Amino acid sequence: MAEPGATAVSVQGLRKRYGDLEAVRGVSFQVARGEVFGLLGPNGAGKTTAVEILEGFRGRDAGEVRVLGYDPASRPRALRERIGIVLQECAVEPYLTVREVLRRNASYYPAPRPVAEVAELVGLAAMADVKVAKLSGGQQRRLDVGLGIIGRPELIFLDEPTTGFDPTARRGAWDLVRSLSDGGATIILTTHYMDEAEALADRVAVIARGQIVAEGPPSSLGGRDVSEAKLRFRLPEDCSSTSLPVPVHEVGDLLEVATTDEVEVLHLLTGWSLAEGVPLLGLSVERLTLEDVYLRLTAGGDAGGTVGAPGALADGVPAGRSAERWTPAP
Amino acid sequence: MDPGTVSAIAAPASGPGLVRDLRLVARQLRYEQLAFWRNRTGALFTVGFSVIFLLLLSASGANQRSNVIGNLKIVQYYTPGFAAYGVMSACYNNLGIVLVVRRETGLLKRLRLSPIPTWVLFGAILASNAVIALVQVALLLLIGRFAFGVVLPDQWAALLLALLVGVVCFSALGVAISTVVPSQDSAGPIISLSFFVLLFLSGLWFPLKAGSSLAKISNYFPVHHLIVAFFAPFESKLGASPWAWGDLGTVAIWGAIATIIAVRRFAWEPRRH
Ligand SMILES: Nc1ncnc2c1ncn2[C@@H]1O[C@H](COP(=O)(O)OP(=O)(O)O)[C@@H](O)[C@H]1O
Ligand SMILES: [Mg+2]
Repeated sequence: MAEPGATAVSVQGLRKRYGDLEAVRGVSFQVARGEVFGLLGPNGAGKTTAVEILEGFRGRDAGEVRVLGYDPASRPRALRERIGIVLQECAVEPYLTVREVLRRNASYYPAPRPVAEVAELVGLAAMADVKVAKLSGGQQRRLDVGLGIIGRPELIFLDEPTTGFDPTARRGAWDLVRSLSDGGATIILTTHYMDEAEALADRVAVIARGQIVAEGPPSSLGGRDVSEAKLRFRLPEDCSSTSLPVPVHEVGDLLEVATTDEVEVLHLLTGWSLAEGVPLLGLSVERLTLEDVYLRLTAGGDAGGTVGAPGALADGVPAGRSAERWTPAP
Repeated sequence: MDPGTVSAIAAPASGPGLVRDLRLVARQLRYEQLAFWRNRTGALFTVGFSVIFLLLLSASGANQRSNVIGNLKIVQYYTPGFAAYGVMSACYNNLGIVLVVRRETGLLKRLRLSPIPTWVLFGAILASNAVIALVQVALLLLIGRFAFGVVLPDQWAALLLALLVGVVCFSALGVAISTVVPSQDSAGPIISLSFFVLLFLSGLWFPLKAGSSLAKISNYFPVHHLIVAFFAPFESKLGASPWAWGDLGTVAIWGAIATIIAVRRFAWEPRRH
C-alpha cells in the first residue's frame, strides 16, 4: 500500500458547516505514525465533527484530508479495514452475547485479533456468553472499545474515551491506550480533560469554536514552558514593599512578581531578604498549569462566535498579561 | 496523483472478493436471525400473532363458506391471508421499527463506520426477512392443512413468487417508513398503526366485496394486493389463474417508490432533537 511515509493523518484547511453553524472552521494538523495525538477542547468545539470527517462518516465542505494515504470522503473499504473507532456514545446490539458481537465484527476484517484475546484485553473474558443488554454501562463501553480494536487497526480514533468513567475505569482506559500505542498503533483521541491529554498525548491541538488555537506537546502547550512564572509571598505587617529590589503588585493579601527568569528574580529577592533580615513569608513559585493555558485558550465567545486572534498567543504569553511581566534588565 | 487514491477506488468486489462478501452476507444473516428471534416482542408480534389469529378466526368459523370468495371455506381464505400478513409484518412493521431503533441507538452509525459494505448489510437484512417469511408461511400452511384441512396450492411457484415480491417490496417500504419516523418512541405508534389501518382496509379479517368503497380505497395500497397475490395460488382449483400479475405489479410499483424514498432519505445517525 503506497502512502506518504511517516504521516498517518494530514488535515489542511478543513471546514464543515451544519446549516447556519460552521462547526469546523479551517483546521489543519498532521499526525505522525505511532503518535498519540490529542484533540483537546470544550463541548461543542468541533472535535467529534472533525474526527468523524477523518473516519469517513461525514463529508466536508472544504479542505484537504489524507488518512493513511486515502481521502476518507469516499469511505474506501481498505481504509475502514485499517482504522479502529470508538465513538463518543457506545452502541452494541442488545440481543447478542459479547462473544457473538465480537465474532461478528471480527468477520468484517481481513486479519482480526482473536475474539478471546480482545475479550481478555477489555476485561470481558468472564462475560463472553452474557447478552449485551445485561452488561453494565461501563462493560458495554468496554465492549465498544473491543470492537474498535478487533480489526488490528493501525490507526485508532477514540472520541472522549473516558467521559463518564470513574477514576479506576479511567486509569484502566489509559493503560489500554498506552498498550495500544506501545503496540505501534497511531492514536487520535479527543478529550475535554486536560489531565487526560497530558497523560496520554505526545502532541495536543487545542480546539475552540471550530479552530485550533494552540498546538504542541502538552508540556509546552501555549508556551507553558517558556511563559512567565509567578513568585508569591507576603511581607511582615510592618514592612513596606517599596524597598523590594523588584517591582511587585498585590494579589489579595499576597505580593506577586511575574517573570520569565525566576532564577534571577529569586536570587534578588532572597538576597534582599537575607541582607535586610525581612522574611519572605509563604514564598512560592508557580508556572502555568496546562489547565491555566487551556482555560485561557478556550475562554470567551459563544460557540460559533468570533475567536480571539490566535496570533496573540504565538509568543506564549497569554493576552492581557504582558503589562504585568517583568524581566530583570541585563 | 496520490497512489493511495488509485488503490482506493480500483478494488471492485469480484472473484475471490465477491465470494468473501457473499460469505459475509451469510454470517451477517446468522446474527440478524439471532437478533430477530431473541427479540421476543418482535418475533411474537410477527410470527405468534399470525398463528394465533389464524387459529382463533378459523376455529370460530372454520367450516363456514363465504360467497365473497367464491363459496370457499373461510379458513381457505385466512391461511394465505395470514401468510401475507406474516411477510408484511416481518418486512414492514418489524424491519421499520428495528431500523429506527438501530438508527437512534447508534447501531447503524457503528455499522457504517465498520468495513462491512452497505450492500452486504442490506442483503443480509433482506435474506433474514425472507427466512422469517418462509418459516412463517410454512407454519401457517402446516396448521391450515392439518388442523383445518386447507387445500394447498398446486402452483407452488406462484406462491413463492408472491412471497419474494412481498419480501422485497415490503422490506423497501419498511426502510422507507423508518426514514420518516423521527424517534424511537414514535416508531411503534407510527409504523404499527399505519400497518393495522391498511390491514383493516385491505380485507385481512374479512374479505372485501368487489366494488365496495373499501375495496376501492384499498385498491390504491399494496397490502390488499399482496393478500390477493397470496390467495391466488390457492384459488386456482376453481379455474382462476394462480399468477396474480396485476396485483404483484401494483406491489412492485409501491416497492420501487419506497426504494427511491429509502435511498434518498436514509440516515445512519440518530436524529438531532
Ligand atoms: N449532525 C449535526 N447537525 C447539526 N449540528 C451539529 C451536528 N453535530 C454537531 N453539531 C454542532 O456542531 C458543533 C460542534 O459539535 P461537535 O463536533 O460534536 O463538538 P465536540 O465533539 O467538540 O463537542 C456543536 O455546536 C454541535 O451542536
Ligand atoms: Mg464530541
